[in-house]
Amino acid sequence: MHIVKQLMAIPGVIAAGEYAYRGDRFSFEGALTDEFARMASILCRANTLSVNMQSEIFDSFAENCGCRPVQGWIVRGRDITVCAIGNYFSFIENREDLLNDVMTIMRAKVGDIEDDLLVNLYARLGGDTKEALY
Amino acid sequence: MDLEKMMALPGAMAAFTFSDKGDLQNHVLREGTELTPQVLDLLTRSCVANLAIAGMEARGWEAVTGQAGFQPLQGFSVVGLEWSVVVNGNCGVVVKNRDADYEATFNALQTA
Repeated sequence: MHIVKQLMAIPGVIAAGEYAYRGDRFSFEGALTDEFARMASILCRANTLSVNMQSEIFDSFAENCGCRPVQGWIVRGRDITVCAIGNYFSFIENREDLLNDVMTIMRAKVGDIEDDLLVNLYARLGGDTKEALY
Repeated sequence: MDLEKMMALPGAMAAFTFSDKGDLQNHVLREGTELTPQVLDLLTRSCVANLAIAGMEARGWEAVTGQAGFQPLQGFSVVGLEWSVVVNGNCGVVVKNRDADYEATFNALQTA
Protein backbone atom coordinates (compact mmCIF):
# COMPACT_ATOMS: atom_id res chain seq x y z
CA MET A 1 0.00 0.00 0.00
CA HIS A 2 1.28 3.48 -0.79
CA ILE A 3 2.71 5.21 2.26
CA VAL A 4 0.25 8.14 2.15
CA LYS A 5 -2.75 5.82 2.01
CA GLN A 6 -1.28 3.70 4.79
CA LEU A 7 -0.79 6.77 6.98
CA MET A 8 -4.28 8.08 6.27
CA ALA A 9 -5.77 4.75 7.41
CA ILE A 10 -4.52 5.45 10.96
CA PRO A 11 -7.04 7.23 13.22
CA GLY A 12 -5.68 10.63 14.22
CA VAL A 13 -3.72 11.30 11.03
CA ILE A 14 -5.12 14.59 9.71
CA ALA A 15 -3.30 14.73 6.39
CA ALA A 16 -0.32 13.16 4.66
CA GLY A 17 1.49 13.95 1.46
CA GLU A 18 4.54 13.78 -0.73
CA TYR A 19 6.41 16.72 -2.22
CA ALA A 20 9.05 17.06 -4.90
CA TYR A 21 12.41 18.27 -3.62
CA ARG A 22 12.47 20.85 -6.40
CA GLY A 23 9.38 22.37 -4.77
CA ASP A 24 7.03 22.54 -7.71
CA ARG A 25 4.89 19.43 -7.23
CA PHE A 26 3.06 17.79 -4.39
CA SER A 27 0.29 15.30 -3.71
CA PHE A 28 -1.65 14.73 -0.54
CA GLU A 29 -4.70 13.22 1.13
CA GLY A 30 -6.65 14.50 4.10
CA ALA A 31 -7.93 17.70 5.62
CA LEU A 32 -5.87 20.31 3.73
CA THR A 33 -6.83 22.50 0.82
CA ASP A 34 -4.64 22.48 -2.30
CA GLU A 35 -3.19 25.83 -1.31
CA PHE A 36 -2.43 24.73 2.25
CA ALA A 37 -0.83 21.52 0.97
CA ARG A 38 1.33 23.63 -1.35
CA MET A 39 2.36 25.80 1.60
CA ALA A 40 3.06 22.70 3.71
CA SER A 41 5.25 21.29 0.93
CA ILE A 42 7.29 24.49 0.72
CA LEU A 43 7.63 24.59 4.52
CA CYS A 44 8.75 20.96 4.66
CA ARG A 45 11.28 21.46 1.89
CA ALA A 46 12.71 24.56 3.59
CA ASN A 47 13.05 22.82 6.96
CA THR A 48 14.57 19.71 5.36
CA LEU A 49 17.13 21.86 3.57
CA SER A 50 17.92 23.72 6.79
CA VAL A 51 18.48 20.65 8.97
CA ASN A 52 20.59 19.05 6.24
CA MET A 53 22.78 22.13 6.15
CA GLN A 54 23.18 21.86 9.92
CA SER A 55 24.13 18.19 9.72
CA GLU A 56 26.82 19.02 7.15
CA ILE A 57 28.33 21.41 9.68
CA PHE A 58 28.14 18.81 12.49
CA ASP A 59 29.86 16.36 10.20
CA SER A 60 32.70 18.76 9.54
CA PHE A 61 33.29 18.97 13.31
CA ALA A 62 32.87 15.28 14.03
CA GLU A 63 32.92 13.00 11.02
CA ASN A 64 30.49 10.09 11.11
CA CYS A 65 28.95 11.30 14.35
CA GLY A 66 25.66 9.60 13.43
CA CYS A 67 23.62 12.60 12.34
CA ARG A 68 24.23 12.70 8.60
CA PRO A 69 22.35 12.19 6.37
CA VAL A 70 19.33 13.62 8.16
CA GLN A 71 16.26 11.43 7.82
CA GLY A 72 13.65 14.00 8.79
CA TRP A 73 12.28 16.19 11.53
CA ILE A 74 9.28 16.63 13.85
CA VAL A 75 7.51 19.78 15.02
CA ARG A 76 5.38 19.16 18.11
CA GLY A 77 2.56 21.65 18.56
CA ARG A 78 0.00 21.86 21.36
CA ASP A 79 -2.54 19.60 19.63
CA ILE A 80 -0.96 18.83 16.27
CA THR A 81 2.41 17.38 15.27
CA VAL A 82 4.05 17.60 11.85
CA CYS A 83 6.38 14.76 10.87
CA ALA A 84 8.62 14.84 7.80
CA ILE A 85 10.71 11.89 6.62
CA GLY A 86 12.48 12.29 3.28
CA ASN A 87 10.00 13.94 0.96
CA TYR A 88 6.90 12.74 2.82
CA PHE A 89 5.01 14.67 5.48
CA SER A 90 2.11 14.05 7.83
CA PHE A 91 -0.03 16.19 10.09
CA ILE A 92 -1.21 14.17 13.09
CA GLU A 93 -3.20 14.75 16.26
CA ASN A 94 -1.38 14.50 19.58
CA ARG A 95 -2.92 11.17 20.59
CA GLU A 96 -1.22 8.65 22.82
CA ASP A 97 1.29 6.48 20.91
CA LEU A 98 0.31 7.95 17.53
CA LEU A 99 3.58 9.81 17.02
CA ASN A 100 5.68 6.69 17.62
CA ASP A 101 3.45 4.62 15.30
CA VAL A 102 3.58 7.22 12.52
CA MET A 103 7.37 7.61 12.83
CA THR A 104 7.87 3.83 12.74
CA ILE A 105 5.74 3.51 9.60
CA MET A 106 7.31 6.49 7.86
CA ARG A 107 10.87 5.34 8.59
CA ALA A 108 10.07 1.79 7.50
CA LYS A 109 8.20 2.71 4.33
CA VAL A 110 10.40 5.59 3.14
CA GLY A 111 13.62 3.74 4.00
CA ASP A 112 16.96 5.29 4.88
CA ILE A 113 17.55 8.62 3.17
CA GLU A 114 20.82 8.47 1.28
CA ASP A 115 23.61 11.00 1.14
CA ASP A 116 22.52 12.45 -2.22
CA LEU A 117 19.50 14.34 -0.87
CA LEU A 118 21.23 17.71 -0.89
CA VAL A 119 22.57 17.09 -4.36
CA ASN A 120 19.04 16.36 -5.56
CA LEU A 121 17.74 19.46 -3.81
CA TYR A 122 20.34 21.76 -5.29
CA ALA A 123 20.76 20.19 -8.71
CA ARG A 124 17.27 21.34 -9.69
CA LEU A 125 18.22 24.95 -9.07
CA GLY A 126 20.61 24.97 -12.01
CA GLY A 127 24.34 25.23 -12.45
CA ASP A 128 27.07 22.91 -11.27
CA THR A 129 26.11 23.00 -7.62
CA LYS A 130 27.48 19.54 -6.92
CA GLU A 131 31.02 20.74 -7.32
CA ALA A 132 30.41 23.62 -4.91
CA LEU A 133 28.91 21.31 -2.30
CA TYR A 134 31.49 18.57 -2.29
CA MET B 1 16.43 20.36 35.31
CA ASP B 2 17.27 16.77 36.25
CA LEU B 3 19.49 15.56 33.41
CA GLU B 4 19.91 12.13 35.01
CA LYS B 5 16.14 11.71 34.79
CA MET B 6 16.32 12.59 31.10
CA MET B 7 19.05 9.98 30.65
CA ALA B 8 16.55 7.36 31.85
CA LEU B 9 14.44 7.93 28.72
CA PRO B 10 14.56 5.05 26.19
CA GLY B 11 17.68 5.25 24.02
CA ALA B 12 19.04 8.39 25.69
CA MET B 13 22.67 9.06 24.72
CA ALA B 14 22.95 12.61 26.02
CA ALA B 15 20.93 15.22 27.85
CA PHE B 16 21.74 18.88 28.01
CA THR B 17 20.59 22.39 28.83
CA PHE B 18 21.44 25.57 26.99
CA SER B 19 21.03 29.32 27.24
CA ASP B 20 18.61 31.38 25.13
CA LYS B 21 21.58 32.20 22.88
CA GLY B 22 22.42 28.53 22.41
CA ASP B 23 25.43 28.22 24.70
CA LEU B 24 25.75 24.72 26.15
CA GLN B 25 25.30 24.95 29.92
CA ASN B 26 25.08 21.50 31.50
CA HIS B 27 25.30 18.12 29.87
CA VAL B 28 25.47 14.41 30.56
CA LEU B 29 26.94 11.99 28.00
CA ARG B 30 26.44 8.23 28.12
CA GLU B 31 29.74 6.43 28.36
CA GLY B 32 30.93 5.06 25.02
CA THR B 33 28.86 7.41 22.89
CA GLU B 34 30.52 9.01 19.88
CA LEU B 35 29.07 12.41 20.81
CA THR B 36 31.39 15.00 22.30
CA PRO B 37 30.80 18.23 24.23
CA GLN B 38 31.96 20.07 21.09
CA VAL B 39 29.20 18.45 19.01
CA LEU B 40 26.67 19.16 21.76
CA ASP B 41 27.75 22.81 21.81
CA LEU B 42 27.06 23.03 18.09
CA LEU B 43 23.83 21.09 18.49
CA THR B 44 22.47 23.49 21.10
CA ARG B 45 22.93 26.41 18.71
CA SER B 46 20.98 24.59 16.01
CA CYS B 47 18.31 23.74 18.62
CA VAL B 48 17.73 27.42 19.39
CA ALA B 49 17.60 28.24 15.67
CA ASN B 50 15.21 25.38 14.87
CA LEU B 51 12.87 26.21 17.75
CA ALA B 52 12.75 29.84 16.63
CA ILE B 53 12.01 28.88 13.03
CA ALA B 54 9.37 26.33 14.07
CA GLY B 55 7.75 28.94 16.31
CA MET B 56 7.61 31.40 13.43
CA GLU B 57 6.13 28.75 11.14
CA ALA B 58 3.53 27.70 13.71
CA ARG B 59 2.47 31.30 14.25
CA GLY B 60 2.34 31.98 10.53
CA TRP B 61 0.51 28.76 9.73
CA GLU B 62 -2.20 29.49 12.30
CA ALA B 63 -2.61 33.06 11.07
CA VAL B 64 -2.82 32.14 7.38
CA THR B 65 -4.87 28.94 7.57
CA GLY B 66 -6.99 29.61 10.65
CA GLN B 67 -6.06 26.12 11.80
CA ALA B 68 -5.32 26.16 15.54
CA GLY B 69 -3.37 23.61 17.55
CA PHE B 70 0.27 24.46 16.88
CA GLN B 71 0.86 27.11 19.51
CA PRO B 72 2.36 27.01 22.01
CA LEU B 73 5.07 24.92 20.43
CA GLN B 74 6.00 21.85 22.47
CA GLY B 75 9.24 20.92 20.81
CA PHE B 76 11.27 20.12 17.74
CA SER B 77 13.22 17.06 16.74
CA VAL B 78 15.81 16.42 14.05
CA VAL B 79 15.98 12.76 13.05
CA GLY B 80 19.49 11.83 12.01
CA LEU B 81 20.75 8.56 10.58
CA GLU B 82 21.51 6.93 13.93
CA TRP B 83 20.17 9.34 16.52
CA SER B 84 17.61 12.07 16.98
CA VAL B 85 17.81 15.21 19.03
CA VAL B 86 14.56 16.18 20.76
CA VAL B 87 14.40 19.66 22.22
CA ASN B 88 11.98 21.98 23.97
CA GLY B 89 12.55 25.17 25.94
CA ASN B 90 16.16 25.16 27.10
CA CYS B 91 16.61 21.42 27.37
CA GLY B 92 17.31 18.63 24.90
CA VAL B 93 17.89 14.90 24.73
CA VAL B 94 19.74 12.85 22.11
CA VAL B 95 18.15 9.43 21.65
CA LYS B 96 19.17 6.41 19.57
CA ASN B 97 16.68 6.00 16.74
CA ARG B 98 16.24 2.28 17.20
CA ASP B 99 15.23 2.70 20.86
CA ALA B 100 13.61 6.13 20.67
CA ASP B 101 10.24 6.81 22.23
CA TYR B 102 9.54 10.23 20.73
CA GLU B 103 6.29 10.68 22.57
CA ALA B 104 7.80 9.96 25.98
CA THR B 105 10.75 12.23 25.21
CA PHE B 106 8.57 15.16 24.15
CA ASN B 107 6.38 14.62 27.22
CA ALA B 108 9.38 14.50 29.55
CA LEU B 109 10.73 17.74 28.10
CA GLN B 110 7.33 19.36 28.40
CA THR B 111 7.09 18.64 32.11
CA ALA B 112 10.76 19.28 32.85
